[in-house]
Amino acid sequence: MKTLRRFLSPLLILALVLGSVSVSAAPLPTSELVSTQAALSAERGDADRERINEILSRTEVQEQLVAQGVDLAEVEARVAALSDEEARQMAEQLDQLPAGASVVGALLLVFLVLLVTDILGLTNVFPFTR
Amino acid sequence: MQDRFKPVCKNARLAGVLLLSLWLLILTGCAATPRLAANTEQTLPREAMIEGVPFHAQREYQCGPASLAMVLNHDGVDVAMERLIPQVFIPGREGSVQPEMLATVRRHGRIPYVLNDSLDALLTEIAAGHPVVVMQNLSLPAWPMWHYAVAIGYDLEASELILHSGEEAERIESFRRFDATWARSERWAFVALSPGELPSGVSEQRALQAISAFEQVHGAGATLPAWEAFTARFSASSMGHFALGNARYATGDAPGAIEAFRTSVAHRDDLGVAWLNLGLVLLAQGETDEARQALGRAAELPGDWQPRAREALERL
Repeated sequence: MKTLRRFLSPLLILALVLGSVSVSAAPLPTSELVSTQAALSAERGDADRERINEILSRTEVQEQLVAQGVDLAEVEARVAALSDEEARQMAEQLDQLPAGASVVGALLLVFLVLLVTDILGLTNVFPFTR
Repeated sequence: MQDRFKPVCKNARLAGVLLLSLWLLILTGCAATPRLAANTEQTLPREAMIEGVPFHAQREYQCGPASLAMVLNHDGVDVAMERLIPQVFIPGREGSVQPEMLATVRRHGRIPYVLNDSLDALLTEIAAGHPVVVMQNLSLPAWPMWHYAVAIGYDLEASELILHSGEEAERIESFRRFDATWARSERWAFVALSPGELPSGVSEQRALQAISAFEQVHGAGATLPAWEAFTARFSASSMGHFALGNARYATGDAPGAIEAFRTSVAHRDDLGVAWLNLGLVLLAQGETDEARQALGRAAELPGDWQPRAREALERL
């Protein structure tokens, strides 16, 4: 991932710089409005850097999801539906994010402790304790 | 020999029991029955139950897709749980993660609003008729068992919450047990609402981000009712009126956009980006004098949009 970042960053910066140059050098006046999303991300901080990070985040998330067994045909649409903030969160900490429906290791000690905490109403692991 | 060892055993057992009870005491200390704010206690109906929330029993690890199917179907989105599984489930994690739960709601044309982390907010949404997806850790932090469920009702007298959860429809959980398991996800909960509806306790910033993220996926036309509702709720939000102006302009309503941008700068005179967009729309409408004024104000204000404003002013 680090190498990908090192390789992609300059390319993206170049692309963005060229992109903005061609816009400002365009002969026709551009009367396009500033989008709500651009205005909001500018309010939060450095807009250009965020933009680069965001593009990197999304490619990273795609790769991570594919590595986790998500169908190739689905992955692009899944990543497209993420907000910038969510994409960043996924890219940075997909491994640490709690995933609904993980399983408990079936150790006897764990079983006993959870049984007690279940009875005390602290947990809700075993249906028969309610 | 045995006699000599007995006291030791006894002491060890005693120590063990003491240690365990101490540990459990510490744990129970954090898990008292949650109290509602006095205000909520007074205004909330004593009990509430949202009728007609379809129940989808989860298979193996699929409480995420099952919960999503319940709230989406309830709100009129016709999508099967089988279709949602490849959209949100991560096989490698044997579960679904929070950002993708929100993203999937967005994909299906509803806006996900994360609620603030209180039982008050949760119950208020149920009373308003919005089923709430909650994330719980049913086990202890050391051996997590993450779980999504849908809260659909409550009873204040009995201190009980009613949830569609796992393989059980209308499961009843005491507030105390529920809150203990819910607190482990930092009381994470969200509702999925149509553009135009807002949760009652949502903060201005959160709603702004949620609607803006929806607009990024679905465009201005689908999002316009959400901005209308947002500015009706947060009438002093200059960013809200700015966003409304953008959405109106993108859907061909230039006079409406001008009005919204004007309201925006009336609330915050130093919002350069709103002056800039106001100027650009006025210019497109042929109102050159007024456009010059607005762009002039935008060009005065330092910030990200100053260069663009100056450039537009020079071209005039």
